[in-house]
Amino acid sequence: MAKYSVIGTRVHNVDGPEKVTGSGKYTFDITLPNMLYGKILRSPYPHAKILNIDASKAEKLIGVKKVLTGKDTIGFKQGIWRRFPELCDEEILCRSKVRYIGDPVATVAAVDEDTAEEALDLIEVEYEPLPAVFDPMDSIKEEAPQIHDGVELNINVARHIEWGDVDEAFKKCDYIREDQFKCSSQAHACMETHCAVASYDYGGKLTVWTSTQAVFYVQGLLAGMLGMREGDIRVIKPHTGGGFGGKFETDSAQFCAALLSTKLYRPVKIVLSREEEFMATKRRTPMYYNLKLGAKKDGTLLAKEVMVLTDGGAYTGMGATALYLTGFFSSFPYKYPNYRYDGYRAYTNTEPTSAMRGFGAPQAVFAGEGQLDMLAKDLGIDPVEIRRKNGMTPNYEVPGQATIQSCGLHQCLDKIDEYLKNRGKLPPNHGIGIAAYGFMSGGIFNWFDTPYAFSSAVVRINVDGKVDLFTGACDIGQGSNTTLSMICAEELGVRLEDIRIHSADTGICPPDLGAWGSRETLMNGNAVKMAAADAKRQLIEFAAAKMAPNIVYDFDIKDRWIHLVDRPERGVSYFDIVKEAIRGKDGEAIMGRGHYTPHRKGMISPAYSFGVQAVEVDVDPKTGRTKLVNITTAHESGTVINPVGIEGQLEGAASMAAGYGLFEDQPMDEGKILNPSLGVDYKMIRTLDMPDTDILEIDTYEPEGPFGAKEAGEGLTNPTAGAIGNAVYNAVGVRITSLPITPEKVFNALKEKEQKEKGKQRKRRSA
Amino acid sequence: MITYHCPVCNKISDKSALDLARHMVGRGDKVHRDWVNSKGLKYSDILALQFKTFGGEGYKALAAILEKETKVEEEPKVAKK
Repeated sequence: MAKYSVIGTRVHNVDGPEKVTGSGKYTFDITLPNMLYGKILRSPYPHAKILNIDASKAEKLIGVKKVLTGKDTIGFKQGIWRRFPELCDEEILCRSKVRYIGDPVATVAAVDEDTAEEALDLIEVEYEPLPAVFDPMDSIKEEAPQIHDGVELNINVARHIEWGDVDEAFKKCDYIREDQFKCSSQAHACMETHCAVASYDYGGKLTVWTSTQAVFYVQGLLAGMLGMREGDIRVIKPHTGGGFGGKFETDSAQFCAALLSTKLYRPVKIVLSREEEFMATKRRTPMYYNLKLGAKKDGTLLAKEVMVLTDGGAYTGMGATALYLTGFFSSFPYKYPNYRYDGYRAYTNTEPTSAMRGFGAPQAVFAGEGQLDMLAKDLGIDPVEIRRKNGMTPNYEVPGQATIQSCGLHQCLDKIDEYLKNRGKLPPNHGIGIAAYGFMSGGIFNWFDTPYAFSSAVVRINVDGKVDLFTGACDIGQGSNTTLSMICAEELGVRLEDIRIHSADTGICPPDLGAWGSRETLMNGNAVKMAAADAKRQLIEFAAAKMAPNIVYDFDIKDRWIHLVDRPERGVSYFDIVKEAIRGKDGEAIMGRGHYTPHRKGMISPAYSFGVQAVEVDVDPKTGRTKLVNITTAHESGTVINPVGIEGQLEGAASMAAGYGLFEDQPMDEGKILNPSLGVDYKMIRTLDMPDTDILEIDTYEPEGPFGAKEAGEGLTNPTAGAIGNAVYNAVGVRITSLPITPEKVFNALKEKEQKEKGKQRKRRSA
Repeated sequence: MITYHCPVCNKISDKSALDLARHMVGRGDKVHRDWVNSKGLKYSDILALQFKTFGGEGYKALAAILEKETKVEEEPKVAKK
């Protein structure tokens, strides 16, 4: 029999038909009887005291049912850091002070959206503007205004990672480079904006339908902010149009809708506008990167020192983790014997920064892979070779941080090397840049201080053989419902169509930390596999009793056939045994339970994916415009559960990361984002801008993962900006060290290079 | 055995004064900052120096003071018969 019957097959999303026919329900589509519509009034100032809010005119407007301000809250500050209360710093409805343009100050519920919008104009807020600061380099100065009480110099958090003896190691280096890079911001730009429908009943129970990445986080955070028990709040995630790291904390739509509903005992729906989405949610963290890299003449890397200052914006969000991870992934994917990282996150009066796909790693890769190429060129070493020489290998231990089990980096390098050689000579102004990377398969972080397992699952086999799979995992478009259904079907020995998945509903699903850090396949996959194995064991007990074979035989189930492993022709029908087992259990359905929490896997993640990406660009020297020609990626993610899923992740990640590399940014004027709309203002990669994307398959097996699988989601976002930077250099010989790599920057760098060359020629002639 | 005791929160570093300096700057709260400032250094200057120079120059100035003021030499504990 084939090793797997479901794993590795090309499967379209199990919820695809609903989505492509338009029948799938998103939060936006939910309408309840008696429902009201909410809107949120936001601060026009980057930093100001709230002196008074007069809502009397708004309350008198016909159709308005309620106006609430910070005074109507219990004043509990939101933050996922329940273990570190000082990092829970966001009120959502501000009571005395606003800290960025977009901070919410009041919320209105009315009979329709237009009335609610009109009411916002009638709320009179008296502000006392305060001095504001917009750049982290300025906000850490003594004279900078203090954004949060008790946080002088605006240092939100500091992180330090170190191993070896860095200073001594630099003394032994033949060659040292020091470079600076600057990484820009990026909007999550989900197709579906943040939205929520909240319904509070007279029994004191609150139900919230919302677009989120983590239903159990939202449940816990809302409970804290509303002063309710978690068990009295049910959070349901309908279909969700993207998250990318921007939807796993409580947001203003969820909190305001819930607060209004608890006061009115009526359902309230709030959908953020696209402008609010840009200006008043969270965004990718801009970073100042200082790097020092030392090597021997032969390219052996001896030491690296990294210093990072990040722009935290007004609140902590998940920025503290991004700060740690950018430091950790700055050491990836190489075996630095000596490494030191110091990172600081500074508050500014700008939209808060937080998690975004890659969680700090794309910034680390842009800076690190750019510098590594520069060092390789200085030493006259091929870019592939220097990576091969220093790259991580299986069972490598990152000192004090992590243990790498499976690692296919060298296979990835070999494949990319082969690709580069086959590509041959490039046309003029074309260049190929490469970047190597690694990423975690879920984080071993319990900021939330949950006593529950990180992931859990329940499998119920019904009398007709249909399997209900319950999981707290959140499918936000990445396809986890499909992946987990495949893992369940494979383990249980049934077909994919036998599985019906119920996910992301705190009322019926077991706890799970949600979709972030590329954790669903490995962490939830392990929980689902364990639950399916539990149910399978129960079926096999009945099959063994019925068949009564020699005790030495083992049983298995494949394609609905319960059989002896060594005599697969001897078996019984899965359907028959299910019926008999349920009858034999006095009518109780077969239930399997599984859970997963990583133990003894270091501080970061139970497993890591690796890859190398090659990006070919065509740079127009007259305009500085960079055109993408091809993106080829060798990514190893252990056993591939669903090849279609990986292809989707790769194309999505390449598009998002290429946008980060080439176009996307959020310029501000005094804290006001200048391009808060899709289409014209905020430039994104569109379908027609996308080049061919190819995947080079790498075969690895991760012992910690379900069926050997690990992540293939966020990691793919990491290399592209770095590879583009290297490609532009290889195409036209200019190094751009700040993102995005715009035509203006390339054009100006080319002009500067031309001037320098002319100067050199003049000197030569005069000499 | 030589250890370094934080003069503010008594955190003990068994590595070096530089390690303790990193702790004090990393904590960044008012009491730690005040102690640093009371020694004639400026916390914000130390931080700025960290971003402008490599090699932990910002920390080294503080470490020099900590070396003098927070070093504790302890006799190794010997089990009595």
